[in-house]
Amino acid sequence: MDNALRFSLADFFFNDNPDVLKPPSDFEEWMSDSRIQACFSFFEQQLLSAPKTSTEILSNLDGKRHKFINLTSYNYLGLSTHPEVIAAAIEGLKQYGLGASGAPLLSGTLDLHVTFARMLAEFKQKEDCLLFSSGLGGNLGTMQGLLRKGDLLVMDEKCHKSLVDGGTLARVKMKFFEHNDPLHLNRILEQHKGIRTLLAIEGVYSMDGDLVKLPEIVDVCNQYPNVRIFIDEAHSTLMFGDNGRGVAEHFGLEDKIGISFGTLSKSFGGLGGFVCSNAKIIRYLKGYASPYNFSCAPSPPVIAGMIKALEVATRDSSLKDKLWDNTAYFKKNLKDMQLDTGGTESQVIPIIIGSSGELLFEMATAVQKRGLFLQPVDFPAVPAHSRRFRISVSSQLSKEEIDTACNIIEDEIAQRLP
Amino acid sequence: MTREEVAAVIKKHILDNLEDLGENDINTAKSMKDFGANSLDIIEVVSCSMRELKIKIPRAELADIITIDQLTDKFMEHIT
Repeated sequence: MDNALRFSLADFFFNDNPDVLKPPSDFEEWMSDSRIQACFSFFEQQLLSAPKTSTEILSNLDGKRHKFINLTSYNYLGLSTHPEVIAAAIEGLKQYGLGASGAPLLSGTLDLHVTFARMLAEFKQKEDCLLFSSGLGGNLGTMQGLLRKGDLLVMDEKCHKSLVDGGTLARVKMKFFEHNDPLHLNRILEQHKGIRTLLAIEGVYSMDGDLVKLPEIVDVCNQYPNVRIFIDEAHSTLMFGDNGRGVAEHFGLEDKIGISFGTLSKSFGGLGGFVCSNAKIIRYLKGYASPYNFSCAPSPPVIAGMIKALEVATRDSSLKDKLWDNTAYFKKNLKDMQLDTGGTESQVIPIIIGSSGELLFEMATAVQKRGLFLQPVDFPAVPAHSRRFRISVSSQLSKEEIDTACNIIEDEIAQRLP
Repeated sequence: MTREEVAAVIKKHILDNLEDLGENDINTAKSMKDFGANSLDIIEVVSCSMRELKIKIPRAELADIITIDQLTDKFMEHIT
């Protein structure tokens, strides 16, 4: 394939192969191109130890083990390896075993699940909470459980795939408003007055690190009594707001949020998702959100660890403070290098390098050979004109690690930019 | 294949994918978004049209296209 580098995963979705168990023939040809294989070699590299900021990876670039400074894992507060969290998870494992061995409605609900759901509801200041075994399943299940054909799901165009998939499964009409544009949102809502509508937004947008313009969006929604707000606080829970409840708390607008979603796989350092709302709709969702009632309940040691993680993260602000200190220090260094970090307002910091996929992967190879685990983010995950790297800052990072990382970024990214 | 024939294929897939839209409602100087299409609808229309026309244009090269006329012109560049 002469022009393989111009294609992406976006181009092989439809499959005309008569055998359903075979991929499209041109996909095979594309994947066998050595240049495409080089790009894909960055994916699924094996971490050989915990996803801390200092970790060891079996590099796909040379097939050897190397020490890395890790800027890619979502372990924002370092809770996945916090000693108290690990100790609690071990105790949970000893007491309850590895699996819940059942769906929540029949036999999978343990006292641990009930305790943690109550803690989360109280934390988010909502009446009740539903736990999911996966974050993606939580978003998908909430959309699919709440919405029906004839309803409208309005989303920011940068919302996560799990929300789009949930809308597709619910067979609702979906409308996307331009990113963080309250005027465009208003035009869409005006055209659909009176229809049962859920507005889905995110606290922190995961590819850009910017915050939802919540005050402006709430102002728009206040004009439409048929619209309720869903917020996905996957990248903001435990980090934003004085009490760590998220971006809605940060803006002082929690009472305007009808339903609030969070994940357990990012700042919490575990696995799973949760959604908090009024008790009646949570009761209803239990009956209709398939990823809840047709899936095994979350693993007991994970939930035992998560109970401790919530306690550790909220008993004082030390982890959060360290995260924001590290984020500010990182951003200052990147600004000094005159790198384009877009509109980031959070611990998610993009380094936007432009439209060249070749340059992106050349830089990625160079930084990883120097021991920095910073992954390239290519089209179609981000627009073709703004391919990038994405830093996930962690409270675990030491000043020395940030300095080393910034030296590598300056040598291998900043100095290669035209 | 003529430009009119290519335009007819695109128009057919727009009508297939967008509810409440009649053939006479389509103005090719406008964007599909003007007729209520969301980004998923547009991907569906573009992909189905390319399949039928037996052409394959990288999605990244279609990002700047706004109107149906521009899409038709782009397709014509790849029609042999």
